[in-house]
Amino acid sequence: MTQLVIELNALVLGLFIISTIAMTVTRQIGACMLIFVVQSLLLAASAFLLGASPFSWHLFALGCVTLISKAMIIPWLLRVLTPKGNYYRRELSQAIDIPTTLLIALGLTFAGYAFAQHLVRAAPNLSPANISMGFAALLVGLLVLAVRTEAVPQLLGILAMENAAFLAGIAIAPDFPLIAELAIAFDVPLLAFIVALLTRIAYRQVGTTEVGALAALREGP
Amino acid sequence: MIQSIALNIAQLAFVLLLSPLFAGVLTRCKEIVQSKRGPSVLQPYRDLRKLFAKNERIPEDSSWLFRAAPYVIFIVPLIVTLLIPVLTNFPLFFAFAGDMLGAGFIFAISGMFFTLAAIDGGNPYGAMGASRTRMVGFLAEPVIIIVLFTVSFVASSTIPYIVQQHWVHPLANFFAPSHVLLLIAFFMVILAETGRLPVDNPTGHFELAMIDESKALEFSGRSAALIKWGGYMKFAVLSIVFLNVLTTPWGLASSASPADVAIAVALVALKILILIAIIVAVESSYAKLRLFRISEFLAAAFVVSVTAMITEILHL
Amino acid sequence: MTLLAIPCAALLAALWNAFPRSARGAPVATLLASIVALAISLRVLWTLRFGTSIVIAPGWVEIDALGALLVALIAVVYFTAALFSWGYLTAENHGDRRIRQYHANFNLFAFSMLCIPLLSELGLVWIFVELTTLLSVLLVSYALTTEAVEAAWKYMVLTLLGATIAVLGVLVLFWTLHTTGSTDFTWSGLRAAAPSMNHALLSTAFVLLLVGYGAKIGLVPLHTWLPDAHSQAPSPVCAMLSGIETSAVLYVLLRLRSVFASDTSLHVGAWFAVAGLISVGVAALLIVQAHDYKRLFAFSTVEHMGIILTAASIITPFGDIATVWQILAHAVAKSFCFYAAGATLIVTGTREIADVRGLLGMSRIASGGLILGGLAIGGAPPMVVFPSELAILRALLLSHGYIVAALVAIFILIAFFGVIWHVTSMVAGTPSHETHKRVPVPCTLALLIAAVPVFVLGVWLPAGLSEALQSAARVLGA
Repeated sequence: MTQLVIELNALVLGLFIISTIAMTVTRQIGACMLIFVVQSLLLAASAFLLGASPFSWHLFALGCVTLISKAMIIPWLLRVLTPKGNYYRRELSQAIDIPTTLLIALGLTFAGYAFAQHLVRAAPNLSPANISMGFAALLVGLLVLAVRTEAVPQLLGILAMENAAFLAGIAIAPDFPLIAELAIAFDVPLLAFIVALLTRIAYRQVGTTEVGALAALREGP
Repeated sequence: MIQSIALNIAQLAFVLLLSPLFAGVLTRCKEIVQSKRGPSVLQPYRDLRKLFAKNERIPEDSSWLFRAAPYVIFIVPLIVTLLIPVLTNFPLFFAFAGDMLGAGFIFAISGMFFTLAAIDGGNPYGAMGASRTRMVGFLAEPVIIIVLFTVSFVASSTIPYIVQQHWVHPLANFFAPSHVLLLIAFFMVILAETGRLPVDNPTGHFELAMIDESKALEFSGRSAALIKWGGYMKFAVLSIVFLNVLTTPWGLASSASPADVAIAVALVALKILILIAIIVAVESSYAKLRLFRISEFLAAAFVVSVTAMITEILHL
Repeated sequence: MTLLAIPCAALLAALWNAFPRSARGAPVATLLASIVALAISLRVLWTLRFGTSIVIAPGWVEIDALGALLVALIAVVYFTAALFSWGYLTAENHGDRRIRQYHANFNLFAFSMLCIPLLSELGLVWIFVELTTLLSVLLVSYALTTEAVEAAWKYMVLTLLGATIAVLGVLVLFWTLHTTGSTDFTWSGLRAAAPSMNHALLSTAFVLLLVGYGAKIGLVPLHTWLPDAHSQAPSPVCAMLSGIETSAVLYVLLRLRSVFASDTSLHVGAWFAVAGLISVGVAALLIVQAHDYKRLFAFSTVEHMGIILTAASIITPFGDIATVWQILAHAVAKSFCFYAAGATLIVTGTREIADVRGLLGMSRIASGGLILGGLAIGGAPPMVVFPSELAILRALLLSHGYIVAALVAIFILIAFFGVIWHVTSMVAGTPSHETHKRVPVPCTLALLIAAVPVFVLGVWLPAGLSEALQSAARVLGA
């Protein structure tokens, strides 16, 4: 792999982790969605870059499928199925305030890197940076799930975690059987579809999509 | 020796004489984007000339700080100009007199005098602006330090000239994540330190919403001119640090010949104009942040800079 | 090829239900599909009882003795749940369209579960495990109350979180396989390549898969969705979720045990035992303080998953046969419990234990089911869970796991006490409700049919079944 490709890939990864961290702090649902699209585009870009040098049609296919299903189909699905009106411009409340969230995200990034380092040294792989960033972004995705109380950002957090897992995956297993493409092409839109339906049901029955605030089921009186 | 002194004077002249032009271009571009015609790009020169000719009025109860501050604010950017690569990429006379941290502290002197003079002037809005500026300042500190740390780590030195030689070599390093992320972080810091949107509105007139502008309300005549000019020079110096050291350390004169220096002047001016275009784009796209949101803005800059540091140190 | 008819029957029933027509045909289609699936899976179990395997597409669709056992269990619970749904929905009185939607969703859910034991490619298995979550989310929220929606949301978020961590584990496992030079990402391929696997990668894959699939299985501390989802869903869905869905995911983890166990420095047994014991302990204590009888049975599911995991931590033939026996016993007994709970819900209309008194006077079927179900799931003789738990304790003692055996026994006793206390407080006394509904006939029928294996298998294992269990245990331990 040429130096330029390595540097570009590293840039894409740096922006990937920044976009994941940005997902924890954006104030509008629409902005969260936009950042998710950016993140998916960065994942596709990384797949294309890694598949360019020792040419791997498999990675190219993965990139294309990611582009179509995550960057196009999912935002369209969510827009069509979620409640109408000013939904996407409403301001989100934060569970913990933004600077604290950012510092925790930074800490998790360090933790993910550290955890991935001993893995990276253990075996040959296409791009050690991908694996470190993938693990770090997985943890930050967990943070997105934890701090968001609204339905759509939580779904986007889960999808961001999957993006991170696949980011690590493209460096690990460039010749992973067709399963990965199958999963991204069918599983992920189905996920978005069902979750959007559930959000719609929640909105109709409960009157709000702030699902994180629902806490009726618990132990004790 | 003569050459060295001549180059230093050329650097000072560049910053001193061209900084109002850059400010004028920035204002004109912003107005054009807003579908207005905007004042001439030479308007800041006319403003300075007008202010120098006016009488000065000083509050009765103010101390020597109020009278000294404008001079400090005017001189400090000139001192910093001596330390950074403005036109040449080889170290000049004062290059090793202070490094980037030193430059930061020198700016802090100017900031301190300005803040104290604003309170000294007795204007309540001045005191308010002073405390707000300090808040923005201390929030931007960690970002600046991380940025300086990262570039020093690569160049094994904190002298701007040496950093400039090591930072973006080879060219592929331009796309390195540490580079790009540092750019973003430092850009956000420039917006905060020079009082531009989305941190502060430089064209606003509402004193309760001002951060930087309200400190200068009490000054008049020559003091006001010096403070204005100092502000233009601070913006020019920060842009030059950003462009010549961090972003595009190319296009500087590598020899002392007048032709080279002339070309360098043109190229540096061009780079600053491109930066101004980007700033105009950013300023026209965002609304002013509410005061408590500034900490979030700068926390985001901090995160970006730390990520840059991580990727650099872990050699990604 | 008839193997493929098992899931396809469910899929066809789902498609039938998708088209608008009268809702009277929907439960019949579901029932027919489940009978077809049951018949074929029992025949497959009979064919494979001596331990061979059927291969449809090498490397993708294969089934051996362990898979056959699981598919048969899934089909049994599918059948009884289909029967129970028929009556349950008529008692609930929803509209035609909702009944059709329920059945379509129900069949799709069964389809996704039925496919899991048939597949041997790990990536495909992951996809279907995630499908089981996706296809059951809307079933959990079927009641359309605030609690049901909350339960469905928590279920979805936590399980998908687990699935995402698990996919990273699957990718790291593939990487591990790749470094040994092989690309055969099936159960047998992994086992063959296991001895030469890199320790760092294997341990990372182990942690990720344990945490990821553990969230889906309901291991503490990622079990918080389980009581909510398994109590708010309609009772037949609960039976499927509790009885076999968690077991199906546990099956995936257990299949990988031999891969991880080949690296002795991983101490797979110790990790399984710790995870299992924590689940059993926490669940036992939660059972005692339960206030909702469906949540009670859901906590019991967490407990039993912990017991199965503890049994699997003993990597000996005695432990393996105890593990598969416990999976069988739990599937059969837990579904029975949830049918009883469903009948109670129909009769009384409330889920709170404190609000139900004197059930014996209100409905003999529901109260009989509850008492017998409580006894069965607690592990009382002569019902099916008793011999399997005894086998687990025996295997633990034989492999010198005295402390683990003592802890498991104590927690089982605590849970037994808790379940019986709550159930008898509901059944005895003067009836709390004056007017109450009758349990519909299909529900009664389902309860009676489900009761048969609970009692019969507790005292007698038919020859074919015992051979099948032994073959399954051999596959597990291989």
